[in-house]
Amino acid sequence: MDDWRLIDMRIEDASTQMAIDEAIAYARVSERNPNTIRLYRWNPSAVSVGYFQSILNEVDIDACKKFGFDIIRRITGGGAVFHDYNGEITYSLIAPDDDPKIPRDIVSSYKLICGCLIDGLKELGVESEFKPINDIIAGGRKISGNAQTRRYGVILQHGTVLVDCDVNKIFSVLKVSGVKISDKAIKSAEERVTSIRKYLGKDVSFEEGRNALIKGFENRLNIQLNPGELTDYEKTLVTQFKKKYQSDEWVYQR
Amino acid sequence: MNGFIRGDYMKRIEYKVPDGKLVAAEAEAINGVLTKIKITGDFFMHPESTIKDLEDTLKGKQVAKLEKIINNFFDKSNIQLIGVSATDFLHVIKLSLADSS
Repeated sequence: MDDWRLIDMRIEDASTQMAIDEAIAYARVSERNPNTIRLYRWNPSAVSVGYFQSILNEVDIDACKKFGFDIIRRITGGGAVFHDYNGEITYSLIAPDDDPKIPRDIVSSYKLICGCLIDGLKELGVESEFKPINDIIAGGRKISGNAQTRRYGVILQHGTVLVDCDVNKIFSVLKVSGVKISDKAIKSAEERVTSIRKYLGKDVSFEEGRNALIKGFENRLNIQLNPGELTDYEKTLVTQFKKKYQSDEWVYQR
Repeated sequence: MNGFIRGDYMKRIEYKVPDGKLVAAEAEAINGVLTKIKITGDFFMHPESTIKDLEDTLKGKQVAKLEKIINNFFDKSNIQLIGVSATDFLHVIKLSLADSS
């Protein structure tokens, strides 16, 4: 069984969270940092957009400012996500892209890593399934969205697991595309998303969610997660990458 | 509705790829030459930075030759597309040009 590092439930702002993910990935270029799973929450709550998204078309900037939410662009593609401090756990997985556990094929690797989350959700009593390309659904509704990049010789996948969902808040900060709704023939926002609490109809704590996800990763990947910290080199990189993530040139590039 | 609608911004056309992702284009052509192009969406393209290379490659080229240029661009490179294809890019660019002409 392989030992991986767990960076456990850090609560940080958007630029720090994204900088940590990229720093761990980048550090691989020059040091042998361990394969890593992170679990984390965003404070303040934030909206992240995918690398290729048009921020003005996806995000209600004024609403975010009004609520005091961060707005950030990820290095990964995919869609816009509302990271609600009170309703969501984010994870990331960083490992060399030639790790024997990780399929080289990108869609297969989504399936594997989403399988960890599906196992974790099952621990809590949530029956869910992988919905290609990069979603997990429970009861026909999205409960998790995921995105990955391959760079610096590593796979970095991060994603969100909804613990609670304030649908009104989600759709007050995200602009929903007309074509996407029409394509999926969806009548209302409420029918599109669910969360652990909504699905189970009971309160589930962040700690229970965290524990379940850890089990899911350990069992599906046959690894042991050992709590750890960032290396000094990674911390230096975080400071550097944060500047990029805070810059308008990055956030508003598209 | 099976196709496209007008976006919030001038000449931005969105296209939802069947079983795939959303891709949008803002394009403008003058005298048959592509003068402006921005491609956005929730698709995946690896490496990500090559989207800019694609846009730069298309700018200043004749609209009539876009299909060949786009196909060449992806044939020659190791770019991986997920949830979108070279054909989808061409399709949405053409929709955008048709809408703005």
